[in-house]
Amino acid sequence: MNKALRNPWTYAAFVVPTLLLYALFFVYPVIVSFIYGLYRWDGVSPKVFIGIDNFKRLLQDAVFLKALGNNLYFMAFSLIVNIPLVFLIAVAISKVRRMRGFYKSAVFIPVVISTATVAILFGVLYDYESGLINQALRLVGGDGWALEWLSKPNLAMLSILIANAWQNVGFFIVLCLAAILNIPREITDAAKIDGVNGWSETRLVTLPLIRPILFVILLLTVSGTLKVLDIVQIMTNGGPFQSTEVMSTYMLKVGFRSLELGYGSAIGVAMFVITMIMTGVLQRMSKSEEVQF
Amino acid sequence: MNRTAQTQTETQMNAEKPVASSGGLPGRLRLRSSQLPMHALLWAYVVLVLFPLVWLLLSSFKTNREITVNTWALPKRLDFANYKAAWETAHIGTYALNSLFVTLAACFLTLLLSSATAFALSRMTFKGLSKRVYAFVLLGLIVPPSAVFIPLYQLVTDIHLINTLRSLILVYCTYALPITIFILHAFMQSIPRELEEAGIMDGLEAAGLFARIILPITVPALVTVFILAFIGNWNEYIFSQLFVTSESLRTLPTGMATFNDGYRTNFASLSAAVIISIIPVLAVYMFLQRQIIDGMTAGSVKG
Repeated sequence: MNKALRNPWTYAAFVVPTLLLYALFFVYPVIVSFIYGLYRWDGVSPKVFIGIDNFKRLLQDAVFLKALGNNLYFMAFSLIVNIPLVFLIAVAISKVRRMRGFYKSAVFIPVVISTATVAILFGVLYDYESGLINQALRLVGGDGWALEWLSKPNLAMLSILIANAWQNVGFFIVLCLAAILNIPREITDAAKIDGVNGWSETRLVTLPLIRPILFVILLLTVSGTLKVLDIVQIMTNGGPFQSTEVMSTYMLKVGFRSLELGYGSAIGVAMFVITMIMTGVLQRMSKSEEVQF
Repeated sequence: MNRTAQTQTETQMNAEKPVASSGGLPGRLRLRSSQLPMHALLWAYVVLVLFPLVWLLLSSFKTNREITVNTWALPKRLDFANYKAAWETAHIGTYALNSLFVTLAACFLTLLLSSATAFALSRMTFKGLSKRVYAFVLLGLIVPPSAVFIPLYQLVTDIHLINTLRSLILVYCTYALPITIFILHAFMQSIPRELEEAGIMDGLEAAGLFARIILPITVPALVTVFILAFIGNWNEYIFSQLFVTSESLRTLPTGMATFNDGYRTNFASLSAAVIISIIPVLAVYMFLQRQIIDGMTAGSVKG
């Protein structure tokens, strides 16, 4: 070992600036949000300590519970619709030999577009009068088929979920595809010798071997759907009649519109805790699922 | 197609692989036709995904009336009036410049800080301390930023950075640090010690080793994290919407969202504005797609 790499001053110069920034804009707000959660505060008058009242209130707040339910709906839809679609398309791309690169690039295009732009794009697509989707429906089934996608409370959430799927599925397809193409040839060849072919190969060989990446996708979906914000805020901002309210849009309304900073922080803490618990449980469950080639 | 038939096609396809690789023309032709269902599925999916963008492009040359009446027709003529209107009323030029400035500044700051830190943590000799610092920084990967909006907003107000682009640069940088340090740390750890030794012989200090030897080797990883940070910052919406209130300081996503609120029924202008904001991204994507895909997926594979 040499002296150069043991210089504490260089070490400090390399590490301290990062830690300062990290402490100021990350660690401090995290700690403070736990503290704010214990107060009633409008941002102007003095804070009033109210213990865990904000958290008790959360459990009885119909809007918060509705928002949490919408986050879970978001999650369920993404798990049940998006993930099988991801798997299907990834397997299909892995099975073709020609134009694999083209398919991969094409499905990834929506991923590079900003969520704000996607939200606006779908706002146009969903328009009742001239939007692409209603025009297509009219073409197929006549005027009666046109729907008020974003202004009907029972449809609005689904509309957002479709837009969200359009944007995100490509990212996961590429992850999944990389894992499938990473399976060593010897394994698939051996399976073929044993007479495993076609879709049974997919089910018996591919699926078990890419479980780690499916688990990553599951984890990213769970944490992503619990914190979803941009697309909901721009497309509906929780409306109509809070039918699309999610935890983060509700938190922003409570914090910045009603100026209940204490209660808003409590919602933030609740989001954090719920995410921790869910991803923690998932990780515990998958501990034994390592795959080695 | 029923299940058995499909399995049969698959069986044929796999059985034919050796024939195809030996290069016989009839074998190749048969192979291609057996892959047809896959190609059909993929084409259907690609068209479904990309058609909305094509439709929007066509709409951007139409008038509002044309969009409603001639939804499926090509535009009557190549009319850039919508683009002119969108460019002028939506201030897209200003927003794009703000976005570019914030994004680049935050990316360079992130790369500077995280590469130095990753170097110190992975290659300098303070093992116990480094382990703890590293674990501490990685905590940032777990906490969703959405949980801290309110205290962060208060903090940015208290240190008088509210309504400045600097606030965005510092916050974007901070929230990119954990994943960037994670990727660079893994890369730098895999560099063999021998490569440093020549530098040490020449009497280089730690900073010299970092700048002259380690950093040049790390360039591929730096490109990856740069792209990851760039796309994230360029598309970021919520911090920008919270911290910046002046019209002239808005970034592209917030500017677009505001334009959307004001022109919700003017689809002609809206389409043009969306196309203007997508084109630079797609142009860059065309040239750097492999790097962009690798960069954006780098964080999740190892995580």
